[in-house]
Order: sequence, then structure tokens, then C-alpha cells
Amino acid sequence: MNFRRDVFQAISDPTRRAILSLIAVGSLTPNAIAEHFDSSRQTISKHIQILTECQLLKQEQSGREIYYQLNPQKIKEVSDWAEQFREMWEGRLRHMDKILKSTKKN
Amino acid sequence: MAEFVKVSKLFDAAVEEVWKLWTEPEYVMQWWGPDKFTCPLANIHFKEGGTSLVCMKAPDDFGGASHYNIWKYTKIVPYESIEFIMNLADEKGNRKKPTELGMPADFPEDVRTLVTFKSIGKDRTEMTVTEFADFGQMSHFAQLGLEQSIGKAAAVFEF
Repeated sequence: MNFRRDVFQAISDPTRRAILSLIAVGSLTPNAIAEHFDSSRQTISKHIQILTECQLLKQEQSGREIYYQLNPQKIKEVSDWAEQFREMWEGRLRHMDKILKSTKKN
Repeated sequence: MAEFVKVSKLFDAAVEEVWKLWTEPEYVMQWWGPDKFTCPLANIHFKEGGTSLVCMKAPDDFGGASHYNIWKYTKIVPYESIEFIMNLADEKGNRKKPTELGMPADFPEDVRTLVTFKSIGKDRTEMTVTEFADFGQMSHFAQLGLEQSIGKAAAVFEF
């Protein structure tokens, strides 16, 4: 169950979310990622490391370069978890609709 | 504060009727429990600064456990909006931490909930429920910031 805490901590940081958004468009090398940010390469490198450790990012070796890409499975786990709360409310709204319809009839 | 959940629905009813869904205990008891759950208790103290206690009971084949929540109202604008902070509680309405009740540590706490009502002509009302949470403090909600990324990712990866 700890994966959620780790993953959510990982994405609670705006820079890390920005990195994910960037990589969602396509695989990138660490240098290409860093070019999009004002922070130092070390800082960006640390962020990438955290995202990789909690498996939101995957590494792919291509020749001498390492490319990072999203791990869709992990991202889906996160969104599925949040989706439960949404579905609960959707169900309640359906109940509310029924209540209003039945009181109208009476 | 970031949006966590946002749901809307258009009801074929006047805003005064839709409003009652939140103020009348017998109405709340009919909808608070999610599918297959029941709501055996709704102590509604509907006023700013007031706290309501609601219970949802799991079906027997889900263990039949009762879960209590408190809603502390922070702002009420009649027929326009209701704002409250939701937390887990015991059966007496004392606030409890998720872990004290055997819930995961990342279960939502201090969920600011905003309900808005919009009258659309006669006997038509749109109601929107939004749950908000802080990033950082409640990092489990932070996935919302990722929503955009997921959308983009979905276009790239098929999942």
C-alpha cells in the first residue's frame, strides 16, 4: 500500500509534475529535460531520480544515451485510485436525482 | 487548494427542492451512502459553524462496518452555495485520524467541499460538488496536477 504514498509524494512537487508532462509527449534524455528548466542539472537530475525510484518513469538505453519515458501502468494506478472518489460522488448524484423524481410524483 | 473531485448534474427540480437534499436529514439519509451502502444516521446542524454527523454503513457482505463523517459548515449562501470541511469521525462526532480508524494513512483528511446551485429556468437546477485539497500537505491529492499529463500520456500510450 505504500506505493501510493511514495507516488503521491513524488508528484506533489510542481517541477516533477512538469517533468512528467514533458515526458508524456515523448521520451527525452536527462539533458533535454533539464533544458526546459531554469534549475540546475543536478536539481533536475534529483527530481528524475525520485520519479524513477517510484516507477513513474522508466529508463531506456539507446546507444550511449539514456531516455526517460512514462510508465503508463504506474500512472494508471494513481488515477484509478482517485477515480474511486469521483465514482462515489457520481453514484450519489444519481441517488439524488431519484429522490427528487420520487418526491415530485408524490 | 486544488480540485480533487468535481461532479455536476442537472436536476429537473427547483433550486429550493435541490437545496433540501443537503438540509433535510431524511433526504441526506437517502443519498449519502454509496451504492449498496445505507445511511442509518444523519444529524444535520445546518448553519455556518455547525457540524453535521453522517454515517454510511457497508452492506453485510462487505463486513457491515459503519463509517462516520463530520461536515463542518464554513459558509452557507441560501440557494447558492454550501461549503464545509469533511473529516472522519467516531459515532459521537469526534474527529478521528484515518489511521485511528484503520484506514490507510493516505486517506483524505480536511476535505473542503463546495456545493453550488444554479437555477436554470423553472424547475431546472444544476448542482456541482467540488472537493478541494492542498498539495503537499495532502500529497495523495496531488495527482490532479497530473491530470493534464495523463491526458497527454493517454494520447501517446494506449491505456
